[in-house]
Amino acid sequence: MPASFLTRRRQSLWAKSGPTPRLLFGSFLIATVGLFGLTRNDIFGLSFAWPHAALWGAVGWGRVGLSIRPMIILIVFGAIQDVIFHAPMGSFEVVNLMTYAASTAISAEFDVTNEPLIAIIATTLLFAGAFLLLWLMASTLEDHPVRLLPLIAAMLTTGLLYALIHKVFDLGRRPGETVGQAS
Amino acid sequence: MARSGRSAQKGVRRSPKRLVLGVLIFGFAALIVAQSAPQISQFFNPVRASVGDRLGGGEQIGLWARLTGRAAQEQRIRELEAQVRDLSRYKAAAISMADRLEAYEEILNLLGEPPARGVTARVTSESEGPFAQTLLANAGRSQGVEPGSVAMNEGGLVGRVIQLGERSSRILLVTDFNSRVPVIGEVSGVHAIMQGGSTSSGTLTDLPERSDFIEGERILTSSEGGAYPRGLVVGEVHKSGNDWRVKYAMSDGSSGYVQLIPPPTVERPISAGDLPALEDGTSASPTQGARR
Repeated sequence: MPASFLTRRRQSLWAKSGPTPRLLFGSFLIATVGLFGLTRNDIFGLSFAWPHAALWGAVGWGRVGLSIRPMIILIVFGAIQDVIFHAPMGSFEVVNLMTYAASTAISAEFDVTNEPLIAIIATTLLFAGAFLLLWLMASTLEDHPVRLLPLIAAMLTTGLLYALIHKVFDLGRRPGETVGQAS
Repeated sequence: MARSGRSAQKGVRRSPKRLVLGVLIFGFAALIVAQSAPQISQFFNPVRASVGDRLGGGEQIGLWARLTGRAAQEQRIRELEAQVRDLSRYKAAAISMADRLEAYEEILNLLGEPPARGVTARVTSESEGPFAQTLLANAGRSQGVEPGSVAMNEGGLVGRVIQLGERSSRILLVTDFNSRVPVIGEVSGVHAIMQGGSTSSGTLTDLPERSDFIEGERILTSSEGGAYPRGLVVGEVHKSGNDWRVKYAMSDGSSGYVQLIPPPTVERPISAGDLPALEDGTSASPTQGARR
């Protein structure tokens, strides 16, 4: 039996799936985490920092280049976050889209897929930048410096969870690429 | 650092998606700035209220419970929850009335507070994000909650209703930086303003120069400004450096329910022009009324 056939047969369902199912699954995961985030976040006296799950999508989906569908999904999640956090409409949309744009720009400049160190540094910078932007925006709009501790807790939770599940937000191919072209 | 060289390849043909992304970011930034005008920010209030209704007012039995045959149990749980709400309302009313009775016995001829009315609601979500610190409760206009209602839990004062939907209310917590509560020391009688900003304790500002609080005394609402009724427990006062800080009493209650009490209403005084005219045709002044 040819070796290429065996390799193809060993491929998982996730490896074979294209950007659309991956995008849908990632969105489902973000929505699920967001839904749990709506419930009370203290259990048995312990307070949990729920992750800003939409940033996973912004960082992960941006790694394969710009595309319209992730932008729309990020805007929808941003609007939901605005309502939940009682923020002025547009705040989380800007944070999500800026992070998406930064992720795209970094992946266009550097090889984030084959260089683990660059991938880790880029991801860390993206999350730190996103939360810094959020803090700046919230402090400006609320007319006072808002508390940093909950944001840092949320950033750590978001970053740590992303490290575990980042493959879910890998779309696999750049927009317009066919299966054979994907690197 | 390793460069992929993609930018060099793509530099020649710029994607219109970049333009779309830029326009979107600029558009949303403009939307944020535009909301500094109250007319524009109010435009989104119905959307927020209706989403709050969806999030907070989910009282119907879910599809999953129906499919698994747990609808009857769920129904019973709802009934018991309603009973708990009622009982917690009676308990809070009893405590509040006992406090007031004590005050009335001390000071005769005091114009009393209106009897406690209110709705007890379940806290369905809590937002501890970088923006306003709020709670969402599952009772709204249709349950009799009024705009500006005061939220209490078993421990004490929680906050005020800042947004009201048909079946949900958003409560601004006293811990929020923008929250200001006029308070009074239970024993010392010193008035001050409590400012939020921390999850565990609030800061007392606008203190009188000559008198001071007593370490550990209870802090109550003073009803100045008319936003809060008098005598609601806010917390316990402690000295921290040069500042007086209030440890929130609401932290002692964590059942997940809040009681929403209507805000106090103070009748506006009648203007001199509306007073009944005297026999000689001139209108009576308040001093004249007092003399008679």
